[in-house]
Formats: sequence, structure tokens, C-alpha cells
Amino acid sequence: MARGLGQYIIIRALMIIPTILILYTLVFFFLRILPGNPVMAVVGTKNIPPEQLEHLMQMAGLDKPLYVQYFDYLKGVLHGDFGVTLAFPMGKPVWDYIAQRFPATLELALWAFTVSVLLGLLTGVIGATRKGTKTDTAMRVYSIIAYTLFIPWFGMMLQYLFGIHLHWLPTSGRLDPGVNLHTVTGLYVLDSILTGNWEAFVSSVRHLILPALTLGIVLSGAYTRLVRNNMVDVLSQDFIRAYYARGVADRKVMWYALKNAFIPVVTLMGLQFAILLGGAVLTETTFSWPGMGTFLVDRIDYRDYNAIQGAVIFFAFFVGIISLIVDIVYALLDPRVKY
Amino acid sequence: MRRQYATLALVFLVVFSVVASGCISGGGGEEETATIVMGVTDKVTDLDPSNAYDFYTWEVLNNVMEGLVKYKPGTLEIEPALAESWEVNEDSTVWTFHLRKDLKFADGTPLTAKDVVRSIERVMTIQGDPSWLVTDFVDKVEAKDDYTVVFYLKQPTAYFLALLTTPPYFPVHPDYAPDQIQSDQTAGGAGPYKITKWVRDEELVLEANPNYYGEKPKTEKIIIKFYRDASTMRLALQNGEIDIAWRTLRPSDIDSLKKDENFNVIEVPGGFIRYICLNTKNDPTSNVKVRQALAAAVDRPEIAQKVFMGTVEPLYSLVPNGMWSHKDVFKDKYGDGNMEKAKALLSEAGYSESNPLEIQLWYTPTHYGDTEADLAQMLKEQWEKTGMIKVTIKSAEWGTYTDYARNGQMQVYLLGWYPDYLDPDDYTTPFLKSTANSWAGTGYANPTMDDLLSQAQRLSDQNERTKLYEQVQDILAQDVPYIPLIQGKLFVVTQKNVKGVTIGPDMIFRYSTLYKE
Repeated sequence: MARGLGQYIIIRALMIIPTILILYTLVFFFLRILPGNPVMAVVGTKNIPPEQLEHLMQMAGLDKPLYVQYFDYLKGVLHGDFGVTLAFPMGKPVWDYIAQRFPATLELALWAFTVSVLLGLLTGVIGATRKGTKTDTAMRVYSIIAYTLFIPWFGMMLQYLFGIHLHWLPTSGRLDPGVNLHTVTGLYVLDSILTGNWEAFVSSVRHLILPALTLGIVLSGAYTRLVRNNMVDVLSQDFIRAYYARGVADRKVMWYALKNAFIPVVTLMGLQFAILLGGAVLTETTFSWPGMGTFLVDRIDYRDYNAIQGAVIFFAFFVGIISLIVDIVYALLDPRVKY
Repeated sequence: MRRQYATLALVFLVVFSVVASGCISGGGGEEETATIVMGVTDKVTDLDPSNAYDFYTWEVLNNVMEGLVKYKPGTLEIEPALAESWEVNEDSTVWTFHLRKDLKFADGTPLTAKDVVRSIERVMTIQGDPSWLVTDFVDKVEAKDDYTVVFYLKQPTAYFLALLTTPPYFPVHPDYAPDQIQSDQTAGGAGPYKITKWVRDEELVLEANPNYYGEKPKTEKIIIKFYRDASTMRLALQNGEIDIAWRTLRPSDIDSLKKDENFNVIEVPGGFIRYICLNTKNDPTSNVKVRQALAAAVDRPEIAQKVFMGTVEPLYSLVPNGMWSHKDVFKDKYGDGNMEKAKALLSEAGYSESNPLEIQLWYTPTHYGDTEADLAQMLKEQWEKTGMIKVTIKSAEWGTYTDYARNGQMQVYLLGWYPDYLDPDDYTTPFLKSTANSWAGTGYANPTMDDLLSQAQRLSDQNERTKLYEQVQDILAQDVPYIPLIQGKLFVVTQKNVKGVTIGPDMIFRYSTLYKE
């Protein structure tokens, strides 16, 4: 079986490559089918002689044939080079931006993920244990509402309530102005603990609460439903009845039931993580969160080919790795899985 | 068991509210420091003056650097800055400047005439976007000694001092590489502030420059926070996270903040203009009657009120209101929403209600803010009121839009202009001179116009120049390659305790006069 698992992992890992390649190809050509280009977007309405425009196009490498541009970029990526930005500021490594922006997205995603799983488990278990009651209905309604909430709208409601109305929490950014933090990992909460900077810790936690709640609540709906249905299913099985018959305490029975109901939830977690990153784009724009989402949106505005390609490839790679890990965990958790 | 979950939910709520409320006191902001936090939705594109060419970045550069001369805060009057005096020869081709003796960069490095020459030659070598402001005018620049700089110009340029107030002429610290653009260079120049922290698109921290020759800034530290959009910035202002909300809130935000007594809304006339471009090369706008009819049917006050909620003012020429030589040529010739005139002109051009003029009106959805679609819609309504025009609205985002414009692919389209330097020349030559207006894509060319503009550039007598620019504006209203629409106003919204907001006609916010009470 060990060999089987090893093979499975290798095959799954190799499957990430075509996914990224297809995505890159789509993004590459889609960007270029649209009229206009980064140089034009930067120059805008300013009066620049045609020779200089040509020079700028040359500097950006946009004068080369499409297939050369396509393979050049791909070759770079294989060497870990994501190219340089083409819109302002021209010529900065895209990787620098990814390295700076990605931790912000990851931090938001991790917190939102935690919120969504905890809320989803809580509401799902409550629903399952009170099957058929009003509470159960309430939890089901919660799951539908949460699932259908529009992130920017919901985020704004929270901003109004906790920011403007109650003045409890900041509505945008990652740190209060003027708070300095020496970054180690780029995850501010972790960094502030590592460096013992409590001012930055409080500040970063406060800034995280609203965006993480927004995204977390929206994503929790799917868990509520899944956890509830699985729990109901498990609770009706014979081994649970056997536990009760033997007089095992309620809390313990619930714990066993939850463990059994958990396997499909793990799969959902993997899937949700991709959705989570997508949701992070919307959340980031709502809260001016300086992550990959806002970076991508900015760069799309300026048609910065390299930056968009780089960000998309990096995202795809990251999601690929996460789903690989989830599959492995799933395989380890559930002995019925065959590779 | 029911109780357990209820307890769990309660614990969650309590923990959340403790973290939230417990942090209020820990959140900072109690101790009064000499810091002002300013929010913007603009971006700093390039901290290198050899390549920076957008309005907001120029504002930041103006606070961390200075030129030989500058506008006296809040006025159009030019006063000495790094140079204490200057002379010019008779035909205004040789300009000699005498520097102050005690000049230093922010880190204490002495600043001499050689630094001025090096910085300007650097701009000429690098050939970045704004380099034409130097290369089109300056033939060469020399340091006679440590304190004397001489500019030899290619042709007489009456408004050379106005050019000197722009960033490409600012001396930069020797750390700026001589032949490379350094977009994230924070060494700055010799302005009232120096940059102490720079995280692109997130935060820029400025601190008072201890080596500044002039008056010390009233506030030691200015923190600029960059926001994705206006609504987030407005929330931050209302939540007290920022002291000042600057460029750019939406008209509806300004409207409601004006009514809120917690904030000061400061209104400043702005020199940026919005206008319609008309393709003079392609049918049907190649017909001057058609262009005139479109100009006659536009109702500017209605646009200013309904689309911009009074945050702009009507504009009847390309030269903005308040600038010398400005003349309300479009108002005199066509009026506002003049349907009779529009219909008459359309009839002359061969159109009728049964054979309406069909045009495509283009706009770009985000570059000029959220109001752009409304502006296009309003123009469509105004034109269609004639009963003889059918308008199809089209849009393309910025990168595409500018490409279409440059290639003359659009018929009727909306654009805007921020000045490079404050002179009627900057509002006329780039639009109307046939050798300079390819960017706009209107294809407009008129030899008389070209000639008038060249003459006006060379003359140094302002009265003479005024006459020429008035003629230019008359021809503009006759030929109508552009229809001026509105002129912007600027709005700074501050917390009640913020004072000292100074923005002059150059539209540049100088942070050194700001302070908190």
C-alpha cells in the first residue's frame, strides 16, 4: 500500500503541470486578443512621439512575435522567473510583488478558513442534533443565506456596523498607520508574536477580524449543510445506537459521530480553499487589503501581462499543491480510498 | 446538551467582543503625536522625477523635492526656491540662476549647481515620459560655479519659469543612478519632507527634512495610506482611521460629507478639464456642421448638477476658467442646450428627423471615476433631444481606449486633461497643433492655428500672447475638434481638528502647512 500511495502522490503532483499550462495558455492569449497593451495604458493620453512608443514596446518585449513571447515567459517561469512588470513601475520583478502580496492573502485566507470551518461545524452539529426542530430549520436557513451572501455587500454591512457605527474595528488595511513591524514570514499576526511586537499584534488582529469574518461566514454555509447531513446520516447508524445502548456519554457519542462525519468535510476543505482564494479577491477589494487579489485587479486595469500571468500561475500552483495535500490527507484518513 | 452549544456560541461571542472592544483602547491614537494620516485612492507610480508623469506622484515629489523656483503657496505667483535670484537675457534664451549657499539634501549631503546640472542631464539621458518638458526646450545646462546654473534654450520660451516648477527640473540626491529609472528610490531631493517608509500601494511615510533651507513643516510626520476605492476611504475617514481624505472621493460622498458636521469639506478650484473629442477625419464628424451641432446641443450646467452634483463647473473653452486669456467662446457662440441652433446646423448638414445623424459615443468606465457612464448617458439624452441624432454608447477600458484614441478609431469620445505647467500653452498646443495632437486622435490640423500657437510660444509679452490665445480659442469654437465640458474642483475632507490645508492653482497639496489643533 505504501508504494501505491507514493505512486498516487507522484501522479497527482504531475497532474498540476498540465493544469497550470492550460491556464497559462488561456490567460496569455486572452490578454493579447484584447486590444491595447500595458505600454499604451501607462502612456495614456500623454503626447509621446511614435519612436519613443516603439522603444517602450521594445523594452517591454512586446515587439517580438507572439509565440516567442509565449515560450520566453514559460522558460522564465521554469527557472523561477516570473518576468518584470510592464506597467508602472516598469521593470520590477513580478516575483517581488508576489512575495510581498501573497502572505497578506494567505493570512486572510487562513483566518477566514478557520472561521468558516469552526462556524460550519458548530452550526452543522447543532442542526444535526436537533433534527426536525425549529433550530434545525434555522441552521439550514443560515447555511443558505451565508452561501448566497454577496461578499462586497456583506463586508460593507460589517464595516458600517463595527466600524462607523460602533467604532470597534478598523475598516481597511492590515496595520494602523505608523505601526512598524519587522516582517519575517509576512503573516503579520505570526510576525508580531515572533518579534514580540504587541502593538503590531493587536493592530493586525483588529484589522483581520472584519475581512476574515466576512469571508469566513460566507464560506461557512457550505460546511453547515455538509456537516449536518453527514452527522444525521452517521447518527442514524447502528454503531451509534450501540454506543447509546451501552450507556456511553452523549458528548462522547457526538465526538465519534463527528469524526465519522468529518471525512467528506476534508474534501470540501480542499475545494473550499480554491474558492477561498477567489473570495479573497472580492474581500480584499472591499477592505483595501493589500493582497494578491487587489494586486491582480490593479494589474488587469493596466493590462500588465507579466504581472497577471505571474499571479495566475502562482495562484494555480498554490491551489494545486493544496488540493494535492488534501487528497493525500483524505487518502490517509479513509482506508477505503484506492489509488 | 442544548445548553452546551448555547454556551459555546456565547463563548464565541464573548471572545469576539472582548477582542474587538478590548482592542479599542489598545488601538492607538490616544497619545497626541505630530502625525497626520492622509488617505488617497491615487497611486504613486514612480518616485523618480525623470519618469514620473501623473498628477498625484508629482504632488508627492513636490513635497520631498524642490526646484529652482516654485509657486508661492496658494497662488500663481512664482517665487525663489533653491535659487534665490535669476536673470534672463533679452530674447529669453539664456536663463541664469543663483543658488542659495546653504543647500543640503535631506541626509545632509551638500547640494550645489553640479547637482542641478547632473539631475537635468539625467532626465535628458533617461528620456522618460516627462522628459520632453526638458528636451523640447533646453539645449544645454551648465554649472558656472558651485552656485550658478545657466540654461541655454533652443528657442525663446516665455513660460520657462513655469516649466522649472515641474519635477523633471528638480535636483535629485546623488543616489539616483545617472542613466537608469529608479522607481522606488526614496533618497528624494531638497524638499520640506523626506521619505522614511515606502510600501508600494500601501503606505508612504514622510518626515520633516531636518536640512531643509526653508520654514520647518508644521507637522513632523505625514502618513499617506493608499486605498483601493473611494468608499473604503470614506469609511476610514468616518471611522477616524485617517485625518484627511484627499484624491478622490465620489461626488455623492462629498455631497453627504458636506452635510456631516464632523468634517470640514474644503473646496479648491482645479485646473483639470474634461472634454469631448471629435474625429475630424472620419464621417460624419468630419463635417464641421455636425461638430458644431453637437456643441450646440450640449447643456453643461445640467451635466455639472446632475452627473457631478455640483462638484465641477461648466467650461466653455479649453483654457480653464481663471487662467489669463480664457474666453467663454463656446458659450458665446452656441450657448447651452441650444436645440434650435443644433437643429438648424443638422438640417444644413443634411439630416432630419426621418434621416437622423447616427453617432457612436465612447467612454472609459473606471479611469475618470464611477461617474463616467452617467456622463455618457446624459450626453446621449441631450443630443437625442434634438430628435435628429441617434447615439449609441460604447465603452472600453483604459488600455484599449487610449489605443483606439491614438489610432483615430473612435468617432466621438470623452477624455480629460491635467496640466503639465500652468500656461495657456499647455491647454492649447497639445490639442490644437497638428504636430502635437496625435495622442488625441482627432486628426485636427489647421495651418493658421499652428502658426498662432508657434507665435504665442515665442513671444514674451503677456498682452501680445493673450491676444493670440484669444484668437486660438475663437478658431477652436469655429472648428470644434473638441467640445469643452467641465472643469474640476478639488475637495479635501478633513476631521474637524485639521487645519492649514493649502492647495494653489497648480493643484498641488503642500503638506508642510498642515497641522492639528
